[in-house]
Amino acid sequence: MERLDTISDFRILMDRLAANRDPRVPTVVITAGTCGQASGANDLIRAAKRELLRRELAGEVRLRITGCHGYCEMEPSVVIEPAGTFYPKLNADGMVKIIDAVVRGNVVEDLLPLDPETGERVRTQAELPFYKKQTRTVLARNQKVDPIRINDYIAIGGYSSLVTVLEGGDPMATVREIKDSGLRGRGGAGFPTGLKWELLAKQPSDKGKFLVCNADEGDPGAYMDRSILEGSPHSVIEGMLVGAYATGATEGVVYVRAEYPLAIKHLTIALRQARERGLLGENILGTGFSFDIRVVKGAGAFVCGEETALIASIEGWMGEPRQRPPFPIQRGINGRPTAINNVETWANVPVIVAGGAAEFSKTGTKGNSGTKIFSLVGKITNTGLVEVPMGTSIEEVVYEAGGGADSRARIKAVQTGGPSGGCIPVGSFDLPIDYESLAEAGSIMGSGGMIVMDENTCMVDVAKYFMSFLKDESCGKCFTCRKGTQRMYEILDDITKGRATLDQLDLLEELALVVRDTTMCGLGQSAPNPILSTLRYFRHEYERHIVDKRCDAFVCSELVGAPCGSACPIGTEAWRYIAHIERGEYEDAYCAIRDANPFPSICARVCNHPCEDKCRAGTSGGEPIAIRALKRFVTDRIDPAVYEPRREAPIGSRVETVAVVGAGPAGLTAAHYLSLKGYRVTVIDSGAQPGGMLLGCIPPYRLPREQLRKEIAAMLDEGITFRGNTELGADVSIDELFDEGFQAVFVAVGAHKSRKLNVKGEGVPGVLRSMHFLKSYNLKGENLARGRVGVVGGGNSAVDAARIAIRQKGVESVTIIYRRTRSEMPAYSEEIEAALEEGIRIETLLSPARILSEEGHLIGVECVRNELGSRDASGRRRPVPVEGSEHVVPLDTLIVAISEEHDVDCLPPMGIELTDWGTIKCDHETLATSRRGVFAGGDVVTGPATVVDAIAAGKKAATMIERYLRGEDLARPAEVRLPDYYIEPAEIPDEELESTRRVRLPACRVEARLADPFAESALPLSVEDASREARRCLRCDLEFTERNEAEVACAEARGEAT
Amino acid sequence: MLTINGLDVSVEEGTTILEAAEFLGFPIPTLCHMEGLTPYGACRLCVVEIGEGPAAKLVTSCTYPAEEGLVVRTASSRVVRARKMVLELLLASCPQSKTIQDLASAHEVRQQRFKQEHEDCIYCGRCIRMCEEQMMAQAIGFQGRGEHRALGTPFNKRSEVCRLCGGCMYVCPACELRCTYNEPDKAICGGCANLSPPCLEVNTFDDMMCYMEPCVACEIEKNPRDKTPKD
Repeated sequence: MERLDTISDFRILMDRLAANRDPRVPTVVITAGTCGQASGANDLIRAAKRELLRRELAGEVRLRITGCHGYCEMEPSVVIEPAGTFYPKLNADGMVKIIDAVVRGNVVEDLLPLDPETGERVRTQAELPFYKKQTRTVLARNQKVDPIRINDYIAIGGYSSLVTVLEGGDPMATVREIKDSGLRGRGGAGFPTGLKWELLAKQPSDKGKFLVCNADEGDPGAYMDRSILEGSPHSVIEGMLVGAYATGATEGVVYVRAEYPLAIKHLTIALRQARERGLLGENILGTGFSFDIRVVKGAGAFVCGEETALIASIEGWMGEPRQRPPFPIQRGINGRPTAINNVETWANVPVIVAGGAAEFSKTGTKGNSGTKIFSLVGKITNTGLVEVPMGTSIEEVVYEAGGGADSRARIKAVQTGGPSGGCIPVGSFDLPIDYESLAEAGSIMGSGGMIVMDENTCMVDVAKYFMSFLKDESCGKCFTCRKGTQRMYEILDDITKGRATLDQLDLLEELALVVRDTTMCGLGQSAPNPILSTLRYFRHEYERHIVDKRCDAFVCSELVGAPCGSACPIGTEAWRYIAHIERGEYEDAYCAIRDANPFPSICARVCNHPCEDKCRAGTSGGEPIAIRALKRFVTDRIDPAVYEPRREAPIGSRVETVAVVGAGPAGLTAAHYLSLKGYRVTVIDSGAQPGGMLLGCIPPYRLPREQLRKEIAAMLDEGITFRGNTELGADVSIDELFDEGFQAVFVAVGAHKSRKLNVKGEGVPGVLRSMHFLKSYNLKGENLARGRVGVVGGGNSAVDAARIAIRQKGVESVTIIYRRTRSEMPAYSEEIEAALEEGIRIETLLSPARILSEEGHLIGVECVRNELGSRDASGRRRPVPVEGSEHVVPLDTLIVAISEEHDVDCLPPMGIELTDWGTIKCDHETLATSRRGVFAGGDVVTGPATVVDAIAAGKKAATMIERYLRGEDLARPAEVRLPDYYIEPAEIPDEELESTRRVRLPACRVEARLADPFAESALPLSVEDASREARRCLRCDLEFTERNEAEVACAEARGEAT
Repeated sequence: MLTINGLDVSVEEGTTILEAAEFLGFPIPTLCHMEGLTPYGACRLCVVEIGEGPAAKLVTSCTYPAEEGLVVRTASSRVVRARKMVLELLLASCPQSKTIQDLASAHEVRQQRFKQEHEDCIYCGRCIRMCEEQMMAQAIGFQGRGEHRALGTPFNKRSEVCRLCGGCMYVCPACELRCTYNEPDKAICGGCANLSPPCLEVNTFDDMMCYMEPCVACEIEKNPRDKTPKD
């Protein structure tokens, strides 16, 4: 390579290279950073080269192998310049097709990416949502240069910043330029770079000064430095040269992780080429300025990112920090003044010199100028590197560039700054990303790692993970860091295993604060951050672990056991009956279900199956086991008589009697379990028959009435008396019940009043409340809907009302009107699917504004369109009415199904307090109300909830009432229940586990369904399907039961030996 | 010229805060510090608070050089809180050291809330500095990091340069003067008398946890919390 001896030599070369780079010649750009190569970029390169050679296209099509462009989710990917066409996730065959298309000037439609919102093919890279939000001043170079060709870099204007400062001849002017730009250290602390350079320039230089590029990027989840070094090493070299000229530094060191082989390779090549070109080393470009850079490979310790430890490591000592002062700028490598900047900081320097400080500081905010690269990882759609102006909000980064959550689970927080950083909850996502705001929020910028976490992330576990990392990576020199991290980990570990107390939580916090205060270096001072920030925003999660022994994210296995079992409000051990189904032991399976649930065949049809939401087969990326369908499979074929409920005392053997008000699932369950305990129970209900909501509101096509009646009848044993047509308040009061001789009362009257729309004209005939509509149909067989029917709401009662309406004679059409989007409808997705199949239309982002009537009859509803506005605390975007979008939807019937409330006005006079929301005020642990002896549960306490929640309340009420009648303490410490029943697992080959999909749930044909309004729409599974589905179960229980089994086996073996 | 606990003091350039405070008579506890050895800053016991308002911070007085105008507080509540926690941590890991017991006792550490360990070393590095700086041998050094930090000769092989001088043991704060007495009148530590040792708090006490075997405190008083120090 020809050495450039003068600045004019350089200019001649630059002009020549730029002229050769004809922008019109199509170029295939292949991303081949470490991430690209790992996902198969090398195959693409091979295929492209072979194809170009075979077709002799060398002059027509150019090929450029580059570093990572940042869109890691889509690797290996290819960009075609100058068109900017972007092809994601390619294979070698696709590569051949693309080259063919490039030659013809076409695009390969099938290989183009899809826009997630519109579903259309995106033609250019710039149109992708991932790129739209970004300002790529540093990363953009990665696409334009082949990192191992210095000429590529010179051709796009590289090293001209160096030439500018050399020609300027005033080092202090360069220092001022950097100071004016407002550039701050991108390694995390945000120290002003210009100030650092100024300090270095002022140091005496008799023995030489050092510049260091810190590329010891060790934060889990951060990799922007690697990407820059791999993709554009010359920009770092140029930045250091500019820095050396400005500060008078004589030697440069790039301290790079040994775990980054490709970065080291590219950097080494780049340094060699720069030296050969005369851009590095002695007498650079004939100006008399000399500076050389060497590469030092890190020894693999995280702490070496800390500057004093890094210096020790460069000097050849153990990578341990030393107490500052003196600061490295005074005494650094070998005692010489040393300035250390991060890779990204150095890469920003040429940008500033080229464009000027004023131009640079236009981007970003005051005091936080320029852009920052973030590596967006975790539970996010677009994993990758995002470069945005400082001051961009977290929301924009996560939801717009990042594309939001990668699954249905909601995003809960982001963790920024790696192990030294903290978590920021979704409620604070409007925070602008700058050094001060993040510090204010308890986190740090760090090197720019951004780990997105959703509801399936346990914050205690996150803190524990980071603490485990830190206790291993603490150098151990200073006592509070070494022992402090170990002790913090120890306490966190106890918390995640349910062994900790609230005192220990206080101790943890106390210790964390002292560790932050007293440790020697940045690692220790920031080590408590993961704990302190999660405690600040997610203290309730810690308390849940400690007090309730629950991990709501279902992560901490010692508290969760098998997720299906602990997700079930009544603790049904789904894993157990699934294991029995797999073995064909259907009666055992039935007993496993019935053990926990007095309404098995009802729940098999209408349960909202939280077990499936938490099923590990689903949360680990696949599809959850169809647990409810398996339950239905068992309950359909087993005679309930095989299960004999465990009776603790003979019927009526106890003298105390209990009144249960409300014969819904909560009331009946409480009555059942109290009767099993030997108490006589009287169940009072306003309806003529027991069943409550199950009977009145759930449509018969979902829950056949015969099944319902049978299951209820089986529960009403001789210990239970049913007193129908008796309404609390109107017919009987709590006082009267106590006077009658009942010792305890359980109030479970449900939530039976539909909420009003609160719009003008709601009183017109034709406007129906959903509860009234459903009950009239289910209990009396009345068809109230006619003509064009509109249903307002997005929950299950809205969908139920719509599906019932379409089954009624005289109904022409049914439309559901919902104010948010389809994916946010709270109704079960299978119900929404079924409704659509039956011809029901769903209009989303629409709200009723006014009800129109003519001659006292409904003629339509004036609706207003909504658009999605800013996000609320849950991360959902609020519907905002669009002005001028009002239009009339003509309707003959309007059913209002927005929510249900309680009809409990009679309770306060009876001495039972209500909450501000109109629910009964009661202790959620003990269900005790403000009146002694009166307990409450179910919807009347929680607001409209699910059947299984009501059953859970009933079971709890039975326990609490028993404790109350025996005079025992109601509240008891929570206990963890782990799987303890061993069922031998089947041998299932891995291929089978990987290949089988979730069973398709059989359903009755739409025509048959609509023809017979009582026909059950969901059909049971076949034996083959059920067995296959049961075999898919991951058997999370074995982790616990096999352990016990092994212990038992050991004990037996010991027993035999003695 | 700097201010320590409100008193102005002028010291030579290069003096540490620790030296200046000792000169004024303000006691600062230390463990890893030893006159004649390079300041190391590892035990964090000698922390003092410098600066004012939000800029106030804790620094190790053994390494921090006295600066013009520095304002130092050697026993502010923040310092005391930190020191007590450091001592509690030390006590939890290395309860058998008389030095640590005495320090804990003197600083009114009355309980130890962590899981009891009985480690032999607190990694203060005195022995290593002794070997290197005073005995000019460099026979021992640190190995590993974090939890795996250990102390030994290179590659754990018998050292050729060690002269078995015993200097390393002589300076060790963890193993010097271990209390081995079992006769109350000869007890030298006094720590057990003032401190509630873990043995009395936990039923699962294992003899190994207490070097003071049998512990004087256990013999004399079952509940030392109510006890006034013996004179």
